[in-house]
Amino acid sequence: MLTATPAAADIGLSPRRIPLSAATLTAVLSATLLACLPDLARSDWTLGTDALLRHDNNVGNAGNYDDIVGDTIVAARLSIFQLFPVGEDYSLSVGGELSGESYDRLKGLNNASLGGALAVKRKWGLGAYVPWARIGVSLARTDYNDDNRNATVYRTTLSAGERLDDRWNLWGEYAYERRAASSQPEVVPGISGDAYSQTSQKLTGNAEYALNERTFLAFGVLLRYGDVVSTAEPSLGIFTVSRAVAADPAFGPDDYAYKLTGTTLGFKVGINYSPTPHNLVGFGFERLDTHADGGNSYTKSIPEISWDYRF
Amino acid sequence: MGLPLLVKVFAAGIGMAMMIGAETAAAAALNASVMDQHGKPVADTVVSATPLDPKNALRAKPPAVVIDQVDKQFVAYVTPIYVGSRVRFPNNDNVRHQVYSFSPAKRFDLPLYAGTDAPPVLFDKPGVVVLGCNIHDWMIGYIYVSETPFFAKTVSAGTASLEDLPSGDYLVKIWHPRMNGTEEATSRRVTLTAGTPVNLEWQLTVKPTFRIPRVSGAASPGYP
Repeated sequence: MLTATPAAADIGLSPRRIPLSAATLTAVLSATLLACLPDLARSDWTLGTDALLRHDNNVGNAGNYDDIVGDTIVAARLSIFQLFPVGEDYSLSVGGELSGESYDRLKGLNNASLGGALAVKRKWGLGAYVPWARIGVSLARTDYNDDNRNATVYRTTLSAGERLDDRWNLWGEYAYERRAASSQPEVVPGISGDAYSQTSQKLTGNAEYALNERTFLAFGVLLRYGDVVSTAEPSLGIFTVSRAVAADPAFGPDDYAYKLTGTTLGFKVGINYSPTPHNLVGFGFERLDTHADGGNSYTKSIPEISWDYRF
Repeated sequence: MGLPLLVKVFAAGIGMAMMIGAETAAAAALNASVMDQHGKPVADTVVSATPLDPKNALRAKPPAVVIDQVDKQFVAYVTPIYVGSRVRFPNNDNVRHQVYSFSPAKRFDLPLYAGTDAPPVLFDKPGVVVLGCNIHDWMIGYIYVSETPFFAKTVSAGTASLEDLPSGDYLVKIWHPRMNGTEEATSRRVTLTAGTPVNLEWQLTVKPTFRIPRVSGAASPGYP
């Protein structure tokens, strides 16, 4: 499934170094939870964890060559949920997840996130090869080293799909997301400083195709409309169409975050291999192409290596 | 005629013992070996022998069978049973399972349960029954409901042995979940005689497996 554009768009670097970074906090919490996993795994909870190494060649969503900054990110996530059957066709899942990202260069973008999710799923029949639909809501708090970007993320999703046969699995999802961040001091009188709050809608289509028992290909397409944050040095072209502007020390003392409205088209391809039934190793590539107000367009390419473990 | 009752009973016992002994002495054996198209042994192949003489089709009481659920998998993956058997599906995981089958040979649904709460299921029609779990889509298992009591399953070496079969003519056939072609196409007529085991070999074309991955990416919506 395609990752959300804004997750990469509204991250920042703090010029200061705090003793206990968000990433460190995540690591400590994850280690604590992992220590409890054997007991949790024996209950009726389902646990999963995944880690990711990716390179984003345009972290700040910049359009001008001089503003483009690439970085390599390590991300980890621990999720837990419980399933409650409701009648014959419905199920309710309740869960939460703890995640974190660590940037190689832009340390201020390191972040930790803690959230909860609730979803209702309907299957039209028994078994793996029946259509299904799911509606879900989630709430998460993300804490960055660069406090300007701290946000509460509200997300509603509506998804549906069907595994057609042993080889093909198809699904699509509509997502509405609001990231509520603290408004920053106005750097330009009369223009909002609330550059890190964003609202967006996203539509994705996904397919998986099994090559053999252990390997499958993944394809995804994405259409997103909504707020994007582009970090760049001041220029008239972006300034005149921005709905909010805030200082962005994460990228440098002369950089500013501009909130624009944009449309993103993207795709993702990947190949995944299961060395054991519990493990999945993946190699993926994502390409995003955004057209924002005032001709401020940018692209980003994100190759990644991932590892998933499901208890 | 004039023998005391005790002598009659003793004589009858001797006779029965002789009959049993004769039947044991007449028991035949069949050794099967199954390879795939690449010459590799095929495990989990069911080998069944149907006697052509109905008198040889012993109607033994079907044994109780257990198919376990461990680490969110059916154990065993393939289970041959005799028609009329009852199968229990204990859940040795600490998450609940909902075992079902849509197969014509047996349709059933065991609502979500833990432990040994589920009642046994009677399999009273021959055929192949595909098992699934409505919660864990990757769980799959097969029950081969045999119309003959003479069957065995190949081990990892691709071999299986059927022993203590009454001497006579049989139709022997094999079945595997991923075999290309029909079970009937593998059928062979053999004559089994006591003391002379028959060795049969098959080469199957086995289709690739596309089992649903247990982990299909963190964003996959398949589970829950």
